[in-house]
Amino acid sequence: MVEAMFPDPPYGAPRRTLSSAIPLLLGLGSLLLGTSPAVAASQTAGPEEGERPRLEPDLPSSPGDSSILILAAASLTDVLPRVAEAWETTGGMPVRFSFDATSRLAPQILQGAPADLFFSADERWMDWVEERGGILQESRRTLLANRMVLVVPSGSPLDRSGPRGLESPAVRRIALAGENVPAGRYGQAALENAGVWEAIRDRVARAGTVRGALEWVARGEADAGVVYRTDALAEPRVRVIHVFPEDSHPPVSYPAAVLREASRPGAASAFLSFCQGQEARAVFRAQGFEAPAATPGAVAGGTPSVPDPWSAIRLSFLVALAATLAGFVPAVALGWMLARWQFPGKNVLATLALVPLVLPPVVTGFLLLSLLGSRSPLGQALAAAGLPIPFTLLGATLAALVVGLPLYVVSIRNAFQVVDPRYEEVSWTLGRRPWPTFLRVSFPLALPGIAAGAVLAFARALGEFGATVVLAGNMEGQTRTIALAVYTLLESPSGREAIWVLVGASVLLSMMALLGYETLSRRQRRRMEVRGVR
Amino acid sequence: MSDRTGRKRTLIPENGPGDAPESDKGRSSDPESGWTLDLSLDVNLGAASLRAQIRTRARSVAIFGPSGGGKSTLLRVLAGVEERARGRVAVRGEVWQDSRDGRFLPPWERGVGWVPQDYLVFPHLKVRQNLAFAGAGPEEVEGVARRLALGHLLDRRPRRLSGGEQQRVALGRALLARPRILLLDEPFSALDRPLRARVVEELRGFSARHEIPLVLVSHDEADAAALGQEHWFLSEGRLEQTRGP
Repeated sequence: MVEAMFPDPPYGAPRRTLSSAIPLLLGLGSLLLGTSPAVAASQTAGPEEGERPRLEPDLPSSPGDSSILILAAASLTDVLPRVAEAWETTGGMPVRFSFDATSRLAPQILQGAPADLFFSADERWMDWVEERGGILQESRRTLLANRMVLVVPSGSPLDRSGPRGLESPAVRRIALAGENVPAGRYGQAALENAGVWEAIRDRVARAGTVRGALEWVARGEADAGVVYRTDALAEPRVRVIHVFPEDSHPPVSYPAAVLREASRPGAASAFLSFCQGQEARAVFRAQGFEAPAATPGAVAGGTPSVPDPWSAIRLSFLVALAATLAGFVPAVALGWMLARWQFPGKNVLATLALVPLVLPPVVTGFLLLSLLGSRSPLGQALAAAGLPIPFTLLGATLAALVVGLPLYVVSIRNAFQVVDPRYEEVSWTLGRRPWPTFLRVSFPLALPGIAAGAVLAFARALGEFGATVVLAGNMEGQTRTIALAVYTLLESPSGREAIWVLVGASVLLSMMALLGYETLSRRQRRRMEVRGVR
Repeated sequence: MSDRTGRKRTLIPENGPGDAPESDKGRSSDPESGWTLDLSLDVNLGAASLRAQIRTRARSVAIFGPSGGGKSTLLRVLAGVEERARGRVAVRGEVWQDSRDGRFLPPWERGVGWVPQDYLVFPHLKVRQNLAFAGAGPEEVEGVARRLALGHLLDRRPRRLSGGEQQRVALGRALLARPRILLLDEPFSALDRPLRARVVEELRGFSARHEIPLVLVSHDEADAAALGQEHWFLSEGRLEQTRGP
């Protein structure tokens, strides 16, 4: 459940939180070692969609393996393994799953993810894959139906007032899946048809998956959410207060199909048939799913909005700048202590300062949310002081700061380390105490390196994604930075063109920052060369 | 360069450093005062160790010996920047360090004019700012700069100075701090012969005028002979006197 709330890196990378962080770390590592970051970067992203290197899921795919690999919508996480269990006891070939938002699975299929079956939570995405020849047309069928419900945390005072209750100002945050994730569109359509959408849209926080939205409600970070009924039933920490009418949103139907490049189409097809049999139906029903409606009705609503790229760029700039400024004093202090002081626990401090560098950013975000979320004492104290962290600009800044701090501290520590400590000793003998010596000698001598560290931290903050999406959500105009906007656009079949503004801005800003970093680092080295002259 | 003829001009015009500053009140004096230098040291730096006993009334002490014998370390102990030293250091009747009772006067209260072997001229400051680092006024700075043949270099950055020029900046910076003792580490190593004679003359004059004792270390006995009243030989961490005052 918790795992499902961590959205993966945008488009193209399958669900691998840990391993997808590795290319990033390699890139950062090579940066710290002074090798060209361009080399590392070229391993993670190609210039064109079609040339993108295939990042394949680490799931068994070699022909020697006898198992069926299924890409399935996140809302089927609980039920499909049970069906598979029943299938395997009847002697079927073992089944393995990769669960994620449908909007991320569909592009993976076209990139050649080595899977056999696709369970979509949305007809539209299945159409999209079918139009591009990703599935065996004749194998497609609609398996299941689901309903959208309004949930609140189990202790919430909100009750039977239905969607109208959301208009109350006491409801500060309403969690939905992303606007291009099926559950996000259905939820939005349901709220639109209930006539409350315009009143609440500014309070909507978009999670990566419907499971993420559910988790926010379950943790009390959101006061309400719109999720699938099946997910709500499986989560004891939430209460369903309203089931949206079937005709208030497009039918929630789950189409499934065998992939064109399936390595075991026969077994996959047999599993699909099994899913329509009596035994499987019973399992689905027990989990709250329904049989698909005989004639899917056409209900309008839930039109995806396209994020405004300039708002995202402005916001990213603001967040990165604020994080860099706020981190300056702590980073200089930590860098100085690590470079010059000897004290017990120094290694512990160094490790703590560096740990966000190697920790997956989503884990950092999760830890921050646990520490500063609205259920924690610290988070409550901050909220009472008018500084709420989750889903705010402050939260986005904090996430960027924490994730960027290691690079900041390491650069500054390196800058101080190349300053010969005997300059400080000379200053002492000339009557300057340690603090004036720091201000007049150590700090100015290390200044180019310190500035380089600030530039690097700024660049890292610009690109921050994982911790931000968990801690601050994905709210247009509030916490949706460049990375989050790109992520949102990538989920939409129609968002591909608008992306290029953001991608261009991102590449340009990053390159400028790295150029600045290099220049400043070189200046730092030159500054220290004076003693070579004899 | 007008001072070439008037060579008796004082380096530091008024309030010479020989006048005891008021801050001396809080300092502890040595009961057996009268020694310019009274050291008893045991420095252990892992690979190298230094044992030194010096007790002298001489105004200038020259210590020479081969490289790696501990000469620079001895000066660092006197300057107060070598934390690992154990023992007792008293200068001009004042106890600066005594490991038995934990006394340690920090370097910024000692008033030492330390000229390190590799100068350590602050690379981010112009020559003028380097000389004024301890707080000397512009006139004093210019006076000392002229005397040390640095007058034309005041606005340069250290990066654009030769080794000899940097060495003189380091010396000027130390003199302008109004020191109570001068610690010179190979102070003539980068100077050619005429400059060296001029600097020796300045140092001798400064030391005499302000009664500032001077400790010089060098690998070259000729340097030692130029300034030292009393000669000590330091080799492999052991110190012995070779010429009395």
